[in-house]
Amino acid sequence: MTHAGSRAPSRMLIAYAVLAGACAISLLPTIYMIDISLRNSADSFAPVLIAGHPTLRNYAAVLSHARFLRFFLNSALIAALTVLATLVCVTSLAYALSRLKVRGGAIVLLVIMSALLLPLASLLIPITVLLRTLHLTNSYLGLVGPETSLGIAFGTVIVKGAMDGVPLELEEAALLDGASSLAVLLRVMAPLCRPALLVVAVWQFLFSWNEFFLALVIMSRNAMKTLPLAPLFFEGPYMANPGKLFAILTLIGVVPMLFYAVLQRWFVSGLMDGGVKG
Amino acid sequence: MSLVAGGTMSPPARRSRPARLRIGASQVEAWAYVLPALGLFLLFELYPILANLWASVSHPHAAPSIARYAEAASDPVFWVAVRNSVVWVVVSIALEIAIGFPLAVLIELAIPRGRAWFRTLLFLPMVVTPSVIALVFTTIYAPDYGLLYGLFQALGLANSFPAVLGEPAFATYAVIVVNVWQWCGFFVLMYCVGIAQLDAEILDAASIDGAVGLARVRYVLWPMLRSTHVSLIVLGTIQALQQFPLIYLMTQGGPANASQTLATYIFQTGFDENRMGFASTVAVVLFVLSLVLVAVEYAIADNWLARLPLARTRGRAA
Repeated sequence: MTHAGSRAPSRMLIAYAVLAGACAISLLPTIYMIDISLRNSADSFAPVLIAGHPTLRNYAAVLSHARFLRFFLNSALIAALTVLATLVCVTSLAYALSRLKVRGGAIVLLVIMSALLLPLASLLIPITVLLRTLHLTNSYLGLVGPETSLGIAFGTVIVKGAMDGVPLELEEAALLDGASSLAVLLRVMAPLCRPALLVVAVWQFLFSWNEFFLALVIMSRNAMKTLPLAPLFFEGPYMANPGKLFAILTLIGVVPMLFYAVLQRWFVSGLMDGGVKG
Repeated sequence: MSLVAGGTMSPPARRSRPARLRIGASQVEAWAYVLPALGLFLLFELYPILANLWASVSHPHAAPSIARYAEAASDPVFWVAVRNSVVWVVVSIALEIAIGFPLAVLIELAIPRGRAWFRTLLFLPMVVTPSVIALVFTTIYAPDYGLLYGLFQALGLANSFPAVLGEPAFATYAVIVVNVWQWCGFFVLMYCVGIAQLDAEILDAASIDGAVGLARVRYVLWPMLRSTHVSLIVLGTIQALQQFPLIYLMTQGGPANASQTLATYIFQTGFDENRMGFASTVAVVLFVLSLVLVAVEYAIADNWLARLPLARTRGRAA
């Protein structure tokens, strides 16, 4: 309506063309990765996007590799535990700050938020020394602990925002029934904040699944390594065999992509409705 | 102001009062909810900062001193790392905003359908494991068999193909390009969220006042998204400063330390060379640098806001 008649459709076409071009650039490396994983050894060093003659042989080879499957299992367990621990920590902290009138709550919030300004590299050495002292290197807890703590600041912003938006009337009914503070949290607040909790869960899963720096220094034993370390591990052995290496890369990368593709609708709407400040 | 008392429950007898019924948790109970998150914060965030500060000045058989800071100041690689870290922040954020903001505007305001598709496809690089991306782009940049070489070949420029990651002048920027490729989609999504939360009435009112097209984007939309800009700049700063896997796997900080950043230098000095005290000193510098950059960014943003007529409004009440 506000557009000048005939110019609107052509403008829209240009917008679509620009966006399609941007999507092509954003997908191109992934397409290239998948194609190399499907190449036979004769084509594997061809400097082209799509080589043709696809084969699944590389996948058959790497999927039967016991070490790779172990990495996969480690990653899945650590990501699941990290998501769970983050949700527990973030939900209870947000609840205390939003509803329980903790004395000094404003200071706690400020202190926790300051973690958003800490680059991981500046924490890495003391974390490693601490975990060595506690004998937690090469253990699941050694990654779950730091990864959870690194997700708390972002998670608290999201969940506290959502909880602040829940009308007080909704918990009054439960209180009249004599519910305890924990019952109000579990029966009223947490279910009402499900979209925000999903945003936090998706974000933490992706962070944990992809985390490289901590895993590199904490998981030195092969049996405890996670998937982000797999490229480093297989790079040498598969130097002359990019097809197999890229099959591994594809298997690692496809999990978070599918995960996000399935959950993106709720992730985005959770961000839009939630208390995200920009 | 509330009925929070020392007891376990607020008495239902107060129902007739206009004061709201509150969850009757004692301070002890309330702090029990704070404890897990706070404990992890103290253990893995506050303690490391303090431990770094102490490790940077303490010496096994001598009094605390700033000797390691002097050592860092006279180390040319340290200064390369500082410079590269700042370059990472400035170039990454500038490109991510320059690419992300226009794409978000196109998605939210210029097309009638397909928004979710574009948001998702552009966000996908963001979710792929950085160590995977590092190897894919190393192959793309590879001489003789990489995709970029193929492109040069097709254009008849095969002979002038540069050693992208092997050339000191290019290496840092070649890795930053990968970082920008990965994070643009995040900027797009956050700008989309920001635009969707704006008050549609103000945008419409502005277009009635004659602000259409680029003018509306520049003078109405851009200033109204101030808090999105600030959040993204702060997040982008910390993200660029802590980038490690791309650099470590693509250049190892080389060639000849040319692409070293503070993050990779902390790893190299602390773990490869086993100079933990020196690495802690570099870590303190990184921590201080991140605070300084964020403070500067806030100062610039505040200054900039003072000269703009419109503050950002929130479309949906929280």
